[in-house]
Amino acid sequence: MERKLRVWVDHGACVGNGTCLTIAPAVFVHNADRQSEVADPAGDSAARILAAAESCPVSAIHVEDAASGERLFP
Amino acid sequence: MVAPELDDMFAPDVIADPYSHYARLRTSDPVHWNDRYQLWVITRHDDIVWMIRHHELFSSAVIRNDPRPPYPPVDPGDLSLVGYVRAFRADQLVEHDRPGHLAMRQVMHGYFTPKAMESWRPFVRRAVTELLDEARARGRMDVLTDLAAPLPVRVITQMMGVPPEDREHLRELADKLLHINRGEPDRLRPLTEGMRGMLEYVEPLVESRLARPGADFISVLAQGEKAGVLTRHQVLVNTALLLFAGHETTMNLICNGTLALIRHPDQWARLRADPAAAAPAATEECLRYDPPVKSTQRIASADVELRGKQLRKHDRIRWAIASANRDPAVFPEPDRFDIGRHPNPHVAFGAGIHFCLGVTLARLEGQEVFRALAERFPALHLESDRLEYQPSIQFRSLKALPVGWS
Repeated sequence: MERKLRVWVDHGACVGNGTCLTIAPAVFVHNADRQSEVADPAGDSAARILAAAESCPVSAIHVEDAASGERLFP
Repeated sequence: MVAPELDDMFAPDVIADPYSHYARLRTSDPVHWNDRYQLWVITRHDDIVWMIRHHELFSSAVIRNDPRPPYPPVDPGDLSLVGYVRAFRADQLVEHDRPGHLAMRQVMHGYFTPKAMESWRPFVRRAVTELLDEARARGRMDVLTDLAAPLPVRVITQMMGVPPEDREHLRELADKLLHINRGEPDRLRPLTEGMRGMLEYVEPLVESRLARPGADFISVLAQGEKAGVLTRHQVLVNTALLLFAGHETTMNLICNGTLALIRHPDQWARLRADPAAAAPAATEECLRYDPPVKSTQRIASADVELRGKQLRKHDRIRWAIASANRDPAVFPEPDRFDIGRHPNPHVAFGAGIHFCLGVTLARLEGQEVFRALAERFPALHLESDRLEYQPSIQFRSLKALPVGWS
Protein backbone atom coordinates (compact mmCIF):
# COMPACT_ATOMS: atom_id res chain seq x y z
CA MET A 1 0.00 0.00 0.00
CA GLU A 2 1.51 3.28 -1.18
CA ARG A 3 1.56 5.94 1.52
CA LYS A 4 -0.69 8.97 1.13
CA LEU A 5 0.99 12.32 0.62
CA ARG A 6 -0.06 15.87 1.24
CA VAL A 7 1.37 17.97 -1.59
CA TRP A 8 1.10 21.71 -2.19
CA VAL A 9 2.83 24.42 -4.21
CA ASP A 10 4.01 27.70 -2.70
CA HIS A 11 2.78 30.32 -5.17
CA GLY A 12 5.08 32.93 -3.69
CA ALA A 13 7.97 30.84 -4.95
CA CYS A 14 6.63 29.04 -8.07
CA VAL A 15 8.03 30.57 -11.28
CA GLY A 16 5.98 28.41 -13.64
CA ASN A 17 9.00 26.44 -14.85
CA GLY A 18 6.76 23.43 -15.44
CA THR A 19 9.35 20.77 -14.58
CA CYS A 20 6.89 19.14 -12.15
CA LEU A 21 4.29 18.84 -14.92
CA THR A 22 6.71 16.96 -17.12
CA ILE A 23 7.74 14.55 -14.33
CA ALA A 24 4.32 13.90 -12.75
CA PRO A 25 1.67 15.17 -15.19
CA ALA A 26 -1.18 13.40 -13.40
CA VAL A 27 -0.36 15.23 -10.17
CA PHE A 28 0.54 18.77 -11.23
CA VAL A 29 -1.27 21.15 -13.57
CA HIS A 30 -0.80 24.80 -14.47
CA ASN A 31 -3.45 27.30 -13.36
CA ALA A 32 -4.56 30.35 -15.35
CA ASP A 33 -1.45 32.25 -14.15
CA ARG A 34 0.77 29.40 -15.36
CA GLN A 35 1.77 28.46 -11.84
CA SER A 36 1.70 24.83 -10.73
CA GLU A 37 -1.16 23.41 -8.70
CA VAL A 38 -1.82 19.97 -7.34
CA ALA A 39 -4.66 18.29 -9.27
CA ASP A 40 -4.36 14.87 -7.67
CA PRO A 41 -1.86 14.10 -4.88
CA ALA A 42 -2.46 10.38 -5.47
CA GLY A 43 -1.98 10.66 -9.24
CA ASP A 44 1.48 9.11 -9.24
CA SER A 45 3.86 7.18 -7.01
CA ALA A 46 5.38 8.84 -3.97
CA ALA A 47 8.81 8.40 -5.54
CA ARG A 48 7.79 10.30 -8.65
CA ILE A 49 6.13 13.11 -6.68
CA LEU A 50 9.28 13.48 -4.60
CA ALA A 51 11.37 13.47 -7.79
CA ALA A 52 9.21 16.32 -9.11
CA ALA A 53 9.65 18.24 -5.86
CA GLU A 54 13.42 17.76 -5.90
CA SER A 55 13.61 18.85 -9.54
CA CYS A 56 11.80 22.14 -8.95
CA PRO A 57 14.42 24.86 -9.53
CA VAL A 58 13.05 26.99 -6.68
CA SER A 59 11.92 24.19 -4.32
CA ALA A 60 8.34 25.48 -4.39
CA ILE A 61 6.76 22.04 -3.91
CA HIS A 62 6.07 20.86 -0.37
CA VAL A 63 5.49 17.19 0.40
CA GLU A 64 4.31 15.65 3.69
CA ASP A 65 3.20 12.23 4.77
CA ALA A 66 -0.57 12.66 5.08
CA ALA A 67 -0.89 10.25 8.00
CA SER A 68 2.07 11.25 10.19
CA GLY A 69 2.56 14.86 9.02
CA GLU A 70 6.27 14.09 8.53
CA ARG A 71 7.89 16.61 6.19
CA LEU A 72 9.41 14.81 3.20
CA PHE A 73 10.42 17.84 1.08
CA PRO A 74 12.03 20.31 1.20
CA MET B 1 3.80 59.85 -27.36
CA VAL B 2 7.34 59.04 -26.35
CA ALA B 3 10.12 61.27 -27.58
CA PRO B 4 12.15 59.62 -30.34
CA GLU B 5 15.37 59.88 -28.33
CA LEU B 6 13.91 57.28 -25.96
CA ASP B 7 14.50 54.78 -28.74
CA ASP B 8 18.29 55.02 -28.62
CA MET B 9 18.92 52.07 -26.31
CA PHE B 10 22.68 52.35 -26.80
CA ALA B 11 22.94 56.08 -25.96
CA PRO B 12 25.73 56.61 -23.40
CA ASP B 13 23.36 58.07 -20.79
CA VAL B 14 21.01 55.09 -21.15
CA ILE B 15 23.89 52.61 -20.81
CA ALA B 16 25.08 54.52 -17.72
CA ASP B 17 21.61 54.73 -16.14
CA PRO B 18 19.04 52.42 -17.72
CA TYR B 19 16.63 52.83 -14.80
CA SER B 20 15.53 56.40 -15.53
CA HIS B 21 15.10 55.43 -19.16
CA TYR B 22 12.96 52.40 -18.28
CA ALA B 23 10.93 54.41 -15.75
CA ARG B 24 9.99 56.93 -18.46
CA LEU B 25 8.92 54.12 -20.78
CA ARG B 26 7.06 52.22 -18.05
CA THR B 27 5.09 55.32 -17.08
CA SER B 28 4.35 56.70 -20.53
CA ASP B 29 4.22 53.71 -22.87
CA PRO B 30 4.77 50.29 -21.22
CA VAL B 31 4.27 48.40 -24.49
CA HIS B 32 6.44 50.57 -26.67
CA TRP B 33 7.25 50.29 -30.36
CA ASN B 34 10.91 51.27 -30.74
CA ASP B 35 10.98 52.66 -34.26
CA ARG B 36 14.72 53.02 -34.46
CA TYR B 37 15.42 49.30 -33.86
CA GLN B 38 12.01 48.07 -35.06
CA LEU B 39 11.06 46.14 -31.93
CA TRP B 40 8.66 46.16 -28.99
CA VAL B 41 10.04 47.15 -25.59
CA ILE B 42 8.02 45.82 -22.61
CA THR B 43 8.63 47.41 -19.21
CA ARG B 44 5.90 46.45 -16.71
CA HIS B 45 6.39 43.56 -14.26
CA ASP B 46 2.92 42.04 -14.81
CA ASP B 47 3.18 42.16 -18.61
CA ILE B 48 6.65 40.62 -18.59
CA VAL B 49 5.69 37.78 -16.23
CA TRP B 50 2.61 37.04 -18.34
CA MET B 51 4.63 37.04 -21.54
CA ILE B 52 7.47 34.92 -20.16
CA ARG B 53 5.01 32.28 -19.00
CA HIS B 54 3.22 32.19 -22.37
CA HIS B 55 6.15 30.70 -24.22
CA GLU B 56 3.90 29.41 -27.01
CA LEU B 57 3.11 33.02 -27.99
CA PHE B 58 6.65 34.41 -27.70
CA SER B 59 9.33 32.27 -29.25
CA SER B 60 12.83 31.93 -27.84
CA ALA B 61 14.05 30.63 -31.19
CA VAL B 62 14.92 34.18 -32.19
CA ILE B 63 17.80 33.16 -34.43
CA ARG B 64 15.77 30.63 -36.41
CA ASN B 65 12.69 32.83 -36.69
CA ASP B 66 14.33 36.17 -37.42
CA PRO B 67 16.16 36.50 -40.73
CA ARG B 68 16.70 40.26 -40.27
CA PRO B 69 20.25 41.56 -39.84
CA PRO B 70 21.74 42.06 -36.36
CA TYR B 71 21.20 45.34 -34.50
CA PRO B 72 22.96 47.63 -34.10
CA PRO B 73 24.67 47.06 -37.48
CA VAL B 74 28.00 45.26 -37.72
CA ASP B 75 30.98 46.24 -39.89
CA PRO B 76 30.11 45.44 -43.55
CA GLY B 77 33.35 43.45 -43.80
CA ASP B 78 32.15 41.14 -41.01
CA LEU B 79 28.83 40.20 -42.59
CA SER B 80 30.32 36.85 -43.64
CA LEU B 81 30.60 35.99 -39.92
CA VAL B 82 26.87 36.46 -39.31
CA GLY B 83 26.00 33.00 -40.65
CA TYR B 84 28.56 31.31 -38.40
CA VAL B 85 27.31 33.11 -35.31
CA ARG B 86 23.69 32.33 -36.16
CA ALA B 87 24.37 28.60 -36.67
CA PHE B 88 26.29 28.49 -33.38
CA ARG B 89 23.64 30.27 -31.35
CA ALA B 90 20.67 28.52 -32.95
CA ASP B 91 21.80 25.18 -31.45
CA GLN B 92 21.90 26.49 -27.87
CA LEU B 93 19.24 25.47 -25.35
CA VAL B 94 18.12 29.07 -24.83
CA GLU B 95 17.29 29.39 -28.55
CA HIS B 96 14.75 26.55 -28.52
CA ASP B 97 11.00 26.27 -28.08
CA ARG B 98 9.06 23.20 -27.06
CA PRO B 99 9.18 20.35 -27.77
CA GLY B 100 12.90 20.53 -28.62
CA HIS B 101 13.63 22.71 -25.61
CA LEU B 102 12.07 20.21 -23.21
CA ALA B 103 14.06 17.29 -24.60
CA MET B 104 17.32 19.26 -24.31
CA ARG B 105 16.52 20.58 -20.86
CA GLN B 106 15.69 17.08 -19.63
CA VAL B 107 19.21 16.01 -20.56
CA MET B 108 20.65 18.80 -18.40
CA HIS B 109 18.24 19.49 -15.58
CA GLY B 110 19.29 16.64 -13.27
CA TYR B 111 22.73 18.21 -13.14
CA PHE B 112 21.29 21.55 -11.96
CA THR B 113 18.79 20.59 -9.24
CA PRO B 114 18.97 22.77 -6.10
CA LYS B 115 20.38 19.86 -4.10
CA ALA B 116 23.07 19.07 -6.69
CA MET B 117 24.08 22.73 -6.97
CA GLU B 118 24.09 23.26 -3.20
CA SER B 119 26.79 20.59 -3.01
CA TRP B 120 29.08 23.09 -4.80
CA ARG B 121 28.96 25.56 -1.89
CA PRO B 122 32.16 24.31 -0.17
CA PHE B 123 34.07 24.58 -3.46
CA VAL B 124 32.74 28.11 -4.04
CA ARG B 125 33.53 29.16 -0.47
CA ARG B 126 37.11 27.89 -0.81
CA ALA B 127 37.56 29.66 -4.15
CA VAL B 128 36.24 32.95 -2.71
CA THR B 129 38.62 32.63 0.24
CA GLU B 130 41.59 32.01 -2.05
CA LEU B 131 40.77 34.91 -4.37
CA LEU B 132 40.29 37.30 -1.43
CA ASP B 133 43.55 36.06 0.16
CA GLU B 134 45.35 36.96 -3.08
CA ALA B 135 43.66 40.38 -3.19
CA ARG B 136 44.56 41.12 0.42
CA ALA B 137 48.20 40.18 -0.25
CA ARG B 138 48.24 42.56 -3.23
CA GLY B 139 46.67 45.32 -1.14
CA ARG B 140 44.17 46.36 -3.83
CA MET B 141 41.42 44.76 -5.85
CA ASP B 142 39.47 45.27 -9.02
CA VAL B 143 36.38 43.32 -8.04
CA LEU B 144 35.79 42.50 -11.70
CA THR B 145 39.14 41.02 -12.72
CA ASP B 146 40.29 39.74 -9.32
CA LEU B 147 37.08 38.17 -8.00
CA ALA B 148 33.95 38.36 -10.15
CA ALA B 149 35.51 37.02 -13.38
CA PRO B 150 37.81 34.28 -12.02
CA LEU B 151 35.26 32.81 -9.58
CA PRO B 152 32.69 31.56 -12.11
CA VAL B 153 35.46 30.39 -14.46
CA ARG B 154 36.89 28.26 -11.63
CA VAL B 155 33.49 26.78 -10.90
CA ILE B 156 32.61 26.14 -14.54
CA THR B 157 35.98 24.59 -15.45
CA GLN B 158 35.53 22.29 -12.47
CA MET B 159 32.04 21.44 -13.73
CA MET B 160 33.49 20.70 -17.16
CA GLY B 161 36.01 18.41 -15.48
CA VAL B 162 39.05 20.12 -17.00
CA PRO B 163 42.37 20.74 -15.23
CA PRO B 164 43.11 24.05 -13.42
CA GLU B 165 45.92 24.86 -15.88
CA ASP B 166 43.29 25.24 -18.61
CA ARG B 167 41.45 27.97 -16.69
CA GLU B 168 43.37 30.84 -18.23
CA HIS B 169 42.67 29.62 -21.77
CA LEU B 170 38.97 29.22 -20.99
CA ARG B 171 38.85 32.61 -19.38
CA GLU B 172 40.27 34.16 -22.55
CA LEU B 173 37.63 32.35 -24.59
CA ALA B 174 34.92 33.44 -22.15
CA ASP B 175 36.05 37.07 -22.50
CA LYS B 176 35.63 36.82 -26.27
CA LEU B 177 32.20 35.24 -25.93
CA LEU B 178 31.13 38.28 -23.88
CA HIS B 179 30.77 40.23 -27.13
CA ILE B 180 27.41 38.57 -27.72
CA ASN B 181 24.65 41.21 -27.88
CA ARG B 182 27.04 44.10 -27.43
CA GLY B 183 26.89 47.23 -29.54
CA GLU B 184 30.37 47.56 -31.05
CA PRO B 185 30.33 47.28 -34.88
CA ASP B 186 33.37 44.96 -34.82
CA ARG B 187 31.97 42.66 -32.11
CA LEU B 188 31.58 39.63 -34.38
CA ARG B 189 35.34 39.13 -34.74
CA PRO B 190 36.19 38.39 -31.09
CA LEU B 191 32.86 36.60 -30.73
CA THR B 192 33.58 34.14 -33.54
CA GLU B 193 37.14 33.62 -32.25
CA GLY B 194 35.65 32.65 -28.90
CA MET B 195 33.09 30.36 -30.50
CA ARG B 196 35.64 28.60 -32.73
CA GLY B 197 38.06 28.30 -29.81
CA MET B 198 35.38 26.67 -27.67
CA LEU B 199 34.48 24.13 -30.37
CA GLU B 200 38.14 23.19 -30.83
CA TYR B 201 38.73 22.90 -27.10
CA VAL B 202 35.60 20.94 -26.23
CA GLU B 203 35.47 18.45 -29.14
CA PRO B 204 38.24 16.11 -27.88
CA LEU B 205 36.76 16.30 -24.36
CA VAL B 206 33.43 15.02 -25.70
CA GLU B 207 35.20 12.10 -27.38
CA SER B 208 36.94 11.16 -24.14
CA ARG B 209 33.71 11.48 -22.10
CA LEU B 210 31.85 9.26 -24.57
CA ALA B 211 34.50 6.61 -23.99
CA ARG B 212 34.72 7.16 -20.22
CA PRO B 213 31.76 9.05 -18.77
CA GLY B 214 32.36 10.98 -15.55
CA ALA B 215 30.26 13.11 -13.22
CA ASP B 216 31.05 16.32 -15.14
CA PHE B 217 28.75 18.46 -17.28
CA ILE B 218 30.35 17.49 -20.61
CA SER B 219 29.66 13.83 -19.75
CA VAL B 220 26.01 14.75 -19.16
CA LEU B 221 25.78 16.32 -22.63
CA ALA B 222 27.75 13.45 -24.19
CA GLN B 223 25.18 11.03 -22.79
CA GLY B 224 22.52 13.18 -24.44
CA GLU B 225 24.34 12.69 -27.74
CA LYS B 226 24.58 8.96 -27.16
CA ALA B 227 20.83 8.83 -26.47
CA GLY B 228 20.14 10.62 -29.75
CA VAL B 229 18.70 13.78 -28.15
CA LEU B 230 21.62 16.08 -28.94
CA THR B 231 23.77 16.41 -32.04
CA ARG B 232 27.53 16.80 -31.63
CA HIS B 233 27.27 20.48 -32.51
CA GLN B 234 24.60 20.91 -29.82
CA VAL B 235 26.87 19.25 -27.26
CA LEU B 236 29.68 21.64 -28.16
CA VAL B 237 27.68 24.87 -28.25
CA ASN B 238 25.85 24.05 -25.02
CA THR B 239 29.14 23.50 -23.25
CA ALA B 240 30.06 26.95 -24.53
CA LEU B 241 26.69 28.21 -23.27
CA LEU B 242 27.51 26.94 -19.78
CA LEU B 243 30.75 28.92 -19.84
CA PHE B 244 29.20 32.00 -21.38
CA ALA B 245 25.94 32.10 -19.44
CA GLY B 246 27.56 31.32 -16.12
CA HIS B 247 30.45 33.72 -16.57
CA GLU B 248 29.02 37.06 -17.58
CA THR B 249 25.90 36.84 -15.40
CA THR B 250 27.76 35.85 -12.23
CA MET B 251 30.36 38.51 -12.90
CA ASN B 252 27.64 41.14 -13.12
CA LEU B 253 25.84 39.89 -10.01
CA ILE B 254 29.04 40.18 -7.98
CA CYS B 255 30.10 43.58 -9.35
CA ASN B 256 26.67 45.22 -9.37
CA GLY B 257 25.84 43.82 -5.95
CA THR B 258 29.15 44.92 -4.43
CA LEU B 259 28.68 48.39 -5.90
CA ALA B 260 25.14 48.68 -4.50
CA LEU B 261 26.34 47.61 -1.07
CA ILE B 262 29.21 50.13 -1.09
CA ARG B 263 26.91 52.93 -2.26
CA HIS B 264 24.42 52.25 0.56
CA PRO B 265 26.43 52.36 3.80
CA ASP B 266 23.35 51.70 5.96
CA GLN B 267 22.66 48.47 4.08
CA TRP B 268 26.36 47.51 4.15
CA ALA B 269 26.24 47.95 7.94
CA ARG B 270 23.16 45.68 8.12
CA LEU B 271 25.00 42.98 6.17
CA ARG B 272 28.13 43.35 8.31
CA ALA B 273 26.10 42.94 11.51
CA ASP B 274 25.32 39.32 10.62
CA PRO B 275 26.80 38.38 7.23
CA ALA B 276 25.83 34.70 7.19
CA ALA B 277 22.20 35.35 8.09
CA ALA B 278 21.75 38.46 5.93
CA ALA B 279 23.51 37.27 2.77
CA PRO B 280 20.62 35.30 1.16
CA ALA B 281 18.08 38.17 1.23
CA ALA B 282 20.83 40.69 0.38
CA THR B 283 21.71 38.64 -2.70
CA GLU B 284 18.05 38.68 -3.81
CA GLU B 285 17.94 42.46 -3.39
CA CYS B 286 21.14 42.83 -5.43
CA LEU B 287 19.52 40.70 -8.13
CA ARG B 288 16.44 42.92 -8.08
CA TYR B 289 18.08 46.33 -7.75
CA ASP B 290 20.73 46.04 -10.46
CA PRO B 291 20.28 42.69 -12.23
CA PRO B 292 23.01 41.02 -14.33
CA VAL B 293 20.68 40.81 -17.34
CA LYS B 294 18.80 44.00 -18.20
CA SER B 295 16.65 42.63 -20.98
CA THR B 296 16.07 39.55 -23.09
CA GLN B 297 14.59 39.04 -26.51
CA ARG B 298 11.81 36.99 -28.02
CA ILE B 299 9.98 36.90 -31.31
CA ALA B 300 6.18 36.82 -31.55
CA SER B 301 4.82 33.42 -32.63
CA ALA B 302 1.32 34.81 -33.15
CA ASP B 303 -0.58 38.09 -33.32
CA VAL B 304 -1.12 39.23 -29.73
CA GLU B 305 -2.88 42.31 -28.39
CA LEU B 306 -1.34 43.82 -25.27
CA ARG B 307 -2.48 47.07 -23.60
CA GLY B 308 -4.25 48.08 -26.77
CA LYS B 309 -1.19 47.53 -28.95
CA GLN B 310 -1.20 44.98 -31.73
CA LEU B 311 1.90 42.79 -31.73
CA ARG B 312 2.23 40.88 -35.00
CA LYS B 313 3.64 37.44 -35.62
CA HIS B 314 7.42 37.69 -36.26
CA ASP B 315 7.73 41.04 -34.45
CA ARG B 316 10.89 41.44 -32.42
CA ILE B 317 10.30 41.85 -28.68
CA ARG B 318 12.65 42.90 -25.91
CA TRP B 319 11.44 42.76 -22.35
CA ALA B 320 13.23 44.71 -19.68
CA ILE B 321 13.83 42.59 -16.61
CA ALA B 322 15.61 45.53 -15.01
CA SER B 323 12.46 47.62 -15.44
CA ALA B 324 10.14 44.93 -14.04
CA ASN B 325 12.38 44.79 -10.98
CA ARG B 326 11.76 48.51 -10.35
CA ASP B 327 8.03 48.49 -11.05
CA PRO B 328 6.28 50.43 -8.24
CA ALA B 329 3.12 48.36 -8.82
CA VAL B 330 4.99 45.38 -7.35
CA PHE B 331 7.80 46.80 -5.21
CA PRO B 332 7.14 49.56 -2.63
CA GLU B 333 9.79 52.28 -3.02
CA PRO B 334 11.36 50.38 -5.92
CA ASP B 335 14.43 52.62 -6.18
CA ARG B 336 15.35 52.00 -2.55
CA PHE B 337 18.04 49.34 -1.98
CA ASP B 338 16.80 47.30 0.99
CA ILE B 339 18.69 44.07 1.75
CA GLY B 340 15.86 42.84 3.97
CA ARG B 341 13.15 43.31 1.31
CA HIS B 342 10.41 40.69 1.57
CA PRO B 343 8.68 39.51 -0.48
CA ASN B 344 11.01 40.07 -3.40
CA PRO B 345 9.44 38.64 -6.55
CA HIS B 346 12.14 39.96 -8.89
CA VAL B 347 12.53 38.43 -12.33
CA ALA B 348 16.32 38.52 -12.56
CA PHE B 349 16.30 34.81 -13.47
CA GLY B 350 13.30 35.10 -15.78
CA ALA B 351 10.35 32.74 -15.27
CA GLY B 352 8.50 29.97 -17.05
CA ILE B 353 10.10 27.16 -19.02
CA HIS B 354 13.30 29.14 -19.66
CA PHE B 355 13.82 30.07 -15.99
CA CYS B 356 17.58 30.17 -15.37
CA LEU B 357 19.01 26.66 -15.12
CA GLY B 358 21.92 27.91 -13.02
CA VAL B 359 19.77 29.78 -10.50
CA THR B 360 20.88 27.92 -7.37
CA LEU B 361 24.54 28.18 -8.29
CA ALA B 362 24.27 31.90 -9.07
CA ARG B 363 22.53 32.54 -5.75
CA LEU B 364 25.08 30.66 -3.72
CA GLU B 365 28.00 32.35 -5.49
CA GLY B 366 26.47 35.74 -4.69
CA GLN B 367 25.77 34.74 -1.08
CA GLU B 368 29.30 33.47 -0.51
CA VAL B 369 30.90 36.56 -2.05
CA PHE B 370 28.79 39.17 -0.22
CA ARG B 371 29.17 37.29 3.05
CA ALA B 372 32.96 37.01 2.70
CA LEU B 373 33.35 40.67 1.71
CA ALA B 374 31.32 41.78 4.73
CA GLU B 375 33.28 39.52 7.07
CA ARG B 376 36.76 40.29 5.77
CA PHE B 377 36.61 43.82 4.31
CA PRO B 378 34.32 45.87 6.58
CA ALA B 379 35.82 49.16 5.36
CA LEU B 380 35.24 48.37 1.68
CA HIS B 381 35.04 51.52 -0.45
CA LEU B 382 35.32 52.65 -4.06
CA GLU B 383 38.72 53.68 -5.42
CA SER B 384 37.23 55.38 -8.47
CA ASP B 385 34.44 57.88 -8.97
CA ARG B 386 34.14 57.11 -12.69
CA LEU B 387 32.52 53.77 -13.36
CA GLU B 388 31.71 52.70 -16.90
CA TYR B 389 29.45 50.02 -18.33
CA GLN B 390 29.83 47.87 -21.45
CA PRO B 391 27.68 49.07 -24.36
CA SER B 392 25.18 46.21 -24.13
CA ILE B 393 21.40 46.31 -24.02
CA GLN B 394 21.27 42.76 -22.65
CA PHE B 395 23.88 42.81 -19.89
CA ARG B 396 24.54 45.27 -17.09
CA SER B 397 28.31 44.89 -17.09
CA LEU B 398 30.79 47.16 -15.35
CA LYS B 399 34.14 47.57 -17.11
CA ALA B 400 36.02 47.70 -13.80
CA LEU B 401 35.28 48.07 -10.09
CA PRO B 402 38.41 49.14 -8.17
CA VAL B 403 38.01 49.04 -4.40
CA GLY B 404 40.08 49.54 -1.26
CA TRP B 405 39.55 48.51 2.35
CA SER B 406 41.81 50.56 4.55
